[in-house]
Order: sequence, then structure tokens, then C-alpha cells
Amino acid sequence: MSFAHRRYFVASVAVAGIAATWGVMLAFSWSSKLGIVTFAPWVALLGFDLGVAGGIGGASLVMAVYLTATHYDSVKLDETQIAVRAGSLVVLAMGSALVGRRLKASEEAHRGVALLQSALIDATLDGICLTDAEGNILISNRPLRRLVGELGMPTHGTVPERLLALSGSITEPERYRARMLELAHEPGAASTDEFEIAGTGRVFRGYTAPVPEVPGGLRGRIWTLREVTADRELDRMRDAFVATVSHELRTPLTSISGFLEMMQDEEAGLGTSGRQYLEVIRRSTTRLHALVEDLLLMAQIEAKRIELTLAPVDVQAIAKRSIESARPAATEKGVTLELVTDHPPEVLADGTRIAQVIDNLVSNAVKFTNEGGRVTVSIEGDGDGLRLTVADTGIGIPRDEHGQIFSRFFRASTATRQAIPGTGLGLAISRALVEQHGGTITLTSREGEGTNVTVSLRATR
Amino acid sequence: MIPRVLIAEPNDDVRALLELTVQRLGYEAVYPEERTGRDDVDAILLEPACAVGRSVLRRFGDNAPPVICLSIYPREEGFEPSASVAYLVKPASTAAIGDALRTVFGD
Repeated sequence: MSFAHRRYFVASVAVAGIAATWGVMLAFSWSSKLGIVTFAPWVALLGFDLGVAGGIGGASLVMAVYLTATHYDSVKLDETQIAVRAGSLVVLAMGSALVGRRLKASEEAHRGVALLQSALIDATLDGICLTDAEGNILISNRPLRRLVGELGMPTHGTVPERLLALSGSITEPERYRARMLELAHEPGAASTDEFEIAGTGRVFRGYTAPVPEVPGGLRGRIWTLREVTADRELDRMRDAFVATVSHELRTPLTSISGFLEMMQDEEAGLGTSGRQYLEVIRRSTTRLHALVEDLLLMAQIEAKRIELTLAPVDVQAIAKRSIESARPAATEKGVTLELVTDHPPEVLADGTRIAQVIDNLVSNAVKFTNEGGRVTVSIEGDGDGLRLTVADTGIGIPRDEHGQIFSRFFRASTATRQAIPGTGLGLAISRALVEQHGGTITLTSREGEGTNVTVSLRATR
Repeated sequence: MIPRVLIAEPNDDVRALLELTVQRLGYEAVYPEERTGRDDVDAILLEPACAVGRSVLRRFGDNAPPVICLSIYPREEGFEPSASVAYLVKPASTAAIGDALRTVFGD
């Protein structure tokens, strides 16, 4: 091996050894920082790609100077020293290049994630934004910006301010304004609200909820806005269909129940089986009639076509009548039914509708309570009104279903599992009627232990 | 003379029921296709939300005898004619229909 060849061989071994050392060092974050520091001036001067090339080129140039200087013997270095220094410079350049590549890959990865996130929130139909605790927008998506433009919402200010500015365009501006102000004063609350833009028929559902912590350690809020015009139109069509069908059902019901009445006059002439059959038909007709009436009442409520005839009402007397009408069913099931009252004040209400509410609650309680159980209706004065509670020791409602229990057609799984008949309309109707009176209805329940439904109404004075 | 009640109801079964109810009360049931005039009818029992009911009301105009409505729609729907003396929503009991007829005839 010639001198030159030996020199390059030694240099190559040195480079390989030092490269291996650098490789190990680069695997740790502190050595990466070293690489960045080494590489940084080049990148700062020349930009990323040129910086990498400059690093390599500069190192190569210095190595060439060393090798040339050695060749002319102007620098007194032995072969090993030359090899180590040259190798160090090459590896330094390689390290810088590796760090540069790593930086570039990291930057591209970050940019890719940001693009994906942006594509994700822009691709949804919902307008979405994240605000700080004061409501200043930190980030928003494209659908939201489009909706803001379409609704004529201001493009500046906090989200609550922008929403309030829409009041004049909403079908029920006072209710909307009150709701928005309420929301502004409940920063910790999650809320879903629907509003309709006057004169356009466009309906939107807004959702907002606190975000515990956003980057930077801030507490923030997420806001979403979805157009639900098509959903509401489908609801309207469904309600219209249900109402039409229900009205049409009244015609055959008239002939069934009418001829049943006629047959009662001739019931004595029927045998035992015939009388039993007649009783089944009578019972089914009554249920069908109640179902049709519930469906129609729900349709009226949805269409806001229920008008209350208000007068001072003795709720205690109404509750007594409800209990008496439910007593036969309770007795048949072996359920104790009782009224506990402390002579509450009269309330300003529509007696017929309040009776419907109490009938619903009491009949539900009896229906969902097994033999040996108890249903207690208690009425007590409560400040400027009264509180009526129907408590049972029945099958109860699972905790995760409490939020839906007042929705129309919703039935608790405990009821469906036991095939207890029902339409899921009773509580929805009750809530609508109570709220139309300006009252409240709440429910507490524990599966297997029982349910309490409480209605609060204001007194007449 | 036996009071005559014109029955204007589109459903055959309900019409048969009303006829039976009217006859059991001792009145006579007549139908729109019999081309009865004002002098031939003492009361009308009709479904106001149907073509036959509206046709009968048009035929009598302001000269209609007392009308008892028996409808699938509640009164708020606005089908009640001016000559209406009673408004019942289906499925009204035959007893309620009888009460309304007896009130018209003062029985």
C-alpha cells in the first residue's frame, strides 16, 4: 500500500469511527442540540438547503487545505492527527447535515399535522371556533367564517358580542337576547340552543362548552354552529304526517267505540267468552283513543297551538281526582297509592291541562311500580308557589337516560326490557304543559329503587 | 211529525252508526243524495272537514237548520260553520251525539 493509499485508509477508518461516535451522540437530545448549534450559522446565513450544502462544502474545503498543507509539509502534523482532524471536520459536516435533515423532517411533519388538522375542521359542515375565556377567537374554521358572512354577523368583537348583535334578526329576539346574556354569565356551562333567522326560515343550532385548558395555559370555550333547517323541515313534515294520521284514526275509532256502546245494550245476551271479548275490545279502544289524543296533543304542543285558559286552580283537588281514577289499576297491581298534602295555595293555571299532567305522572308511577310497591303524591307550599312530587318505589330509570327522559317517544330501557307498554309521550307532554305554565318539572331516579318527578308551579298571588 | 236529521258523513261505517243513533232516538235519518230542501230537514249532523259536509252547507247557505258538527278536527281548526249549535270531536260517544240532538229538538 502506497503512502497515499495508507493515508486515505487511515482517514477512512478515523471517519468511520468518529461517524459512529457522532451517530451515538446524535441519538441523544443533547448531542442533537450540539449539531444544531454547529449547523445554525450556516442555515442562518444561507437558508436551510444551502446551509446544509455549505456545511458540507466548507468542511470539505477545510479538509482539503489540511491535506494540501500536510503534503507541502508546511504544517507539522503526523498522519493520524491529519486523519482525526479531517475526519472530525467531515463528521461535523455530516452531523450538521443529519441535524438539518432531522430539522427539515420535523418541520415538514409539523406542517403536515397542521394541514391535516386544518383540513379536518374545514371539511365539517359545522362552523367551529375556539375562544379564550373572554370570547376572543383563537382559531376558527372555514364553514364558520362562511356562516358569519351569510348571517351578517359582525367580524370583530368577542363571540358573545357578535351573537348579541344578531338579536334583531332572530324570530324571538327577546328570548334569544335573554338566553345569550344568560350564557355570558355562565362561563362554566355547556349549552345547546336553537334560533331561527326571521323571514328566511333558516334554523341554526349553536353549541358551546368550556374547554378546560387550551395551549398557553388558558381556559377557553368551544363554539359550534350548525344549520338545522332541513332537520326542522323534516320534523314539521313528520308532525304533519302524525297529525293527519291521528286525525284520520278518529274516524274508525268513532265507529268502533260507537258500535261498542250499542253492543253494551245487548251484552246480557252474550256468553262468558263473548263478554270477555267485548271487554278486550273496549280496553283496546280506550288505549287507542288515548294514544291518538296524546299524538294530537303533542303535535299541537310542537306547533305551539295550545292555549291555556288560566284561572285559580286547587291542585290538591285535582290530585285527589287523579289518584281516584288511578286507584283501580293500583289496587289490581297491589300498589299502595296515597296523597300527602299540607293545604298548598291555589295556582293560576289551566285546570284541564294540570289534570293531564298529574294523570300522566300518577299513571306512570303506578305502571312502573311492581306489586307491594308504593306511590306517594305529595303537595306542599313552596315560597310563592307549590311543589307537587309523585314518588314511586318502582323500576327506576338508569342514570344515563335521565337527560332524554322528557324527549318525545323516548322510553327508558328499564320499561322496554320488561315490555311495559307506553308511547314515550307522557313525560314530554307533561314537561311542555308545565313549562307553558311557567313552571318546572324535574326528575330524580335510581334504577331498581324508584323515581321522583317534581312539578313546581307559581301561586296566584 | 218525526224530526228529520240530515247526515253528511263520508265514512260508511260512521254513517251507519249515526243513522242507528238517530233512529234509536226516534228521529228519521236522511241523506244529502236525497235532494232534501230546507223544509225537509230539521237538523244536520255533519263532518264539516269533508267535501260532502261543505257541499251540504253550501246548499243550505244562510237558511241552514241547526247544525251539529262531528269532526276529526278540533274546533280550533276553523271548520265550524255559523249555523253550528254543537261541536263534537270524534270519537264522540253516541250518548253525547244523542244529547246534542235532544237539545236541538227540545226533548
